[in-house]
Amino acid sequence: MRVLMVEDEPRLAENVARSLRESAGYAVDIAADGQEGLFLAESNAYDVMLLDLMLPKMDGMELLRRIRQSGQHTPVLVITARDDKESVVALLNAGADDYLTKPFDLGEMLARTKALIRRGKGQPSPVVVIGDLELNTVNRTVQRGGRAITLTAMEYRVLEYLVHRPRAVVSKTELLEHLYDYNWEKFSNVIEVYISGLRRKLNEGSTRQLIRTLRGQGYMLQD
Amino acid sequence: MGRDSIQRRLITTVVISQAILTAGLVITGVFVTYWRLLSSLDTGMQAHTMSVAALVRYTEDASGNVYFDNSLLPESIDPNHPDQFMVWADRTGFLTRSEDWPDGLQFEPGPNQHWNFTFAGVPYHALRIQHLPVLDREEGADFHPQTLTIVYASPTIHIRQQVKAAGVFIILASLLLLGATVWLAFWGIRRGLLPLQTLAQQAAQVSAQSWQLHPPREAEEIEELRPLTESMTQMLARLESSFVQQREFLGNAAHELKTPVAVLKSTLQSLLQRSRSSEEYRSGLQAALQDLDRLEQLLQWMLRLARAERWAQDARRRGLDLIDINSTCEEAVERIRSLAQSRNTDIQLSTDGPVPFRADPEDLQLVWTNLLENAVRYSPEGGSVEVAVTHDDQNARVVFQDRGLGIAAEDLPHIFDRFYRGDPSRTRTTGGFGLGLAIAKALVEAYGGSIAAESAPGKGTRMTVTLPAGSRFVTDQGQQDI
Repeated sequence: MRVLMVEDEPRLAENVARSLRESAGYAVDIAADGQEGLFLAESNAYDVMLLDLMLPKMDGMELLRRIRQSGQHTPVLVITARDDKESVVALLNAGADDYLTKPFDLGEMLARTKALIRRGKGQPSPVVVIGDLELNTVNRTVQRGGRAITLTAMEYRVLEYLVHRPRAVVSKTELLEHLYDYNWEKFSNVIEVYISGLRRKLNEGSTRQLIRTLRGQGYMLQD
Repeated sequence: MGRDSIQRRLITTVVISQAILTAGLVITGVFVTYWRLLSSLDTGMQAHTMSVAALVRYTEDASGNVYFDNSLLPESIDPNHPDQFMVWADRTGFLTRSEDWPDGLQFEPGPNQHWNFTFAGVPYHALRIQHLPVLDREEGADFHPQTLTIVYASPTIHIRQQVKAAGVFIILASLLLLGATVWLAFWGIRRGLLPLQTLAQQAAQVSAQSWQLHPPREAEEIEELRPLTESMTQMLARLESSFVQQREFLGNAAHELKTPVAVLKSTLQSLLQRSRSSEEYRSGLQAALQDLDRLEQLLQWMLRLARAERWAQDARRRGLDLIDINSTCEEAVERIRSLAQSRNTDIQLSTDGPVPFRADPEDLQLVWTNLLENAVRYSPEGGSVEVAVTHDDQNARVVFQDRGLGIAAEDLPHIFDRFYRGDPSRTRTTGGFGLGLAIAKALVEAYGGSIAAESAPGKGTRMTVTLPAGSRFVTDQGQQDI
C-alpha cells in the first residue's frame, strides 16, 4: 500500500511516515506543502492520503476540494487541530473520509489508515478471506486452509495488495506504484522474486495455484 | 434587616416632612381659631358694654347724680354662662354690678384694659372701659356730667370648646392626609423604582455567553437611570471585548499547543512502536527533547505575551526610572547580532541624540528585539536592516526598515494579531509562533505609544514605534502621569 502524507511540520511527518512504514509496511511519500501535495496526488496512485489542514501555499481544504474535483476517490484522512463540530462537518462535506485531531495517537492513526484503505477497496473487514486463504490486516498474519504461513515483510505487502484486488489483473507497475514510494522504478525487477516466494509458501501442501500469471499483463489472485 | 433602602428613605422623608407640616397646621389652626373667636367675643362685649352704659341715667334733678336702670339688661353672649359687669361713675363711685356677680371677685376702676382671668374655675375674658359718657345727658349751665368706668367679663368656656373642636378636626384631617400621602408615596415610589427592578433582572441575565443587556424602555427614558444604563451597557461592552479576547487567546493558545504536542507524542510513540537499538533510542530521545524545546519556547512566548498584556494595566502606576531609548536599542541590536551574523545581515543604528523615557528597559528591549528579529529573518541573506531613533518635542520614533520580502497587503492589517502568520511556511522555517509582534504591540501600548507597519511586497517593511517621550513630557513626575 502507498500513502501520501501532506504535512508541513517535518518532525510530525517523519514520525507518522516511520510508523506507517514500520508497523504497516506501507510506502509513504511526504509533501511539505499543499502545492507539492496536489502534484503528488495527481501524478501517483495512492491507496490513502493523510492531509494536514494548516498548510503553506495551499491549505488542506483547498487541496482536498481539488483532488475531489479531479475525480479521485482516494480515501483521505484529515489531520486537524480543530475538533469543533462546524469544522468537522465542513471537512466531511469537502470530501474527507475521516479525521484525526492533534495531538493524536499513532496507533489510532494506523488503525484509521488501514480501515480507510480497506473501505476504499470495498473490503470492510480487517480479516480478508479468499477461498481457503485468510489474511489478517491487523496482526499481519496469513493462513491457508488453517495453516499459518510465515511471510517476509515484502511478501506480505505484495499479498496484501493482491488480496484487496481479488480476481482482478494487477500489473507489475501497479504493484510497484503501491508498494514503493516515489522512486519505485529502481525496484522493477524484484516483484517476480516476491511473487515466486509467495507462490512457494502458499502452495505448500496444496495443489491449487492461488496467484496466476497472465503473460504481458500481470498477476491475478483467484479463489 | 439593617439594610438601607431608597424606598424606606424616601417614605421616611415624606412622613417626617408631612408630620412637621401637620404639627404646624394644628398649632396655627388652633391659634388662629382662638384668636378670631376671642376677637369676635371682644367686639360683642364692647357692644354689650355700650348697652350697659346706656342703662345709666341721670336723676331728674340738677345734681348730676346717676342711677342704673336694670330693666333693659342685655342678654348674655353665652346663654349658659352669664356675663358679668360692674359699673362705676366718676363722682358717684360704685354704681352697680350684675345680679349674679360672683362673691369675692373684686375690680377697681382704672385705664382701658383687655385681659383674661379665671375665677372659681370659670375662664373669663374681661375688658375695662373708662370715660364712657352717660348718654342720657341733661343740658344746663350748672350741670355736671359724669363719665363711667365699666368692667365687662364674659366666660370663655364655649371658645375653649370650639377651639378644641377645631383642633380635633384639623388633627383628624391632617392624619387622614398624612395616611393618604404615605400610601401615595409608597405606591409612587414603588412604581417609580420598578424600572430599576426590571433593570436588575435584565442585568442578572447577563452572562459570559450572553453579554447583551436589554434595558427596559422606562429605564432609558428615566433621566436618573439613564447614566446607569448607559454606563452598564458600556461596561458590558468593554468586559465582553476583553473576555472575548481572553477566550480567543485561550482557544488560540490551546490550538497552537496542539501541533508541538502532537509532534512530541508521535516521536515518543514511534520510538516505542517496536524494540530498537540503543542508538535508535538515543536519537529518538534527542528528537523528543528538541520537540520539547520548541514546546517550551512556545510556552515562554505565551507567558511573555500574557505578561506584556498585564503590564498594560499597571505600567502607568509603577514608579519607573528615566532611561535612554538609544541604549535599549543598542542592547537589542547586541542581542540580535549573532542571528544577524549567521544570516550575514548588517544592522545599522542611527540616532538624533539621547531620548530620555520613563520605562522598564527590559520591556523596550523586548519590543526592539522582536521587531529586529523579524526584520533580520525576513531580509534576504546579506541584506541590511536600518534602525533609526528620532524625536521631537512630543514623541520619540523608532523605525525599523528592512529590504526583505515585505508583507502581502491582505496580511498587513493582521500582523499584530496573536498567533497570526501570513504564510505558515515562512514562520515554520524561521521558527516564529506569531506572537512577537503581538507582544511588541501590547508593550508599546502599555507605555501609551503606538506601532504601525508599512510594507511594499518585494521591497521591504518599515515598522514605526511612536512613544510619548518628547522633551516636554519628561518632568519630575515623569511622562506616565499625563
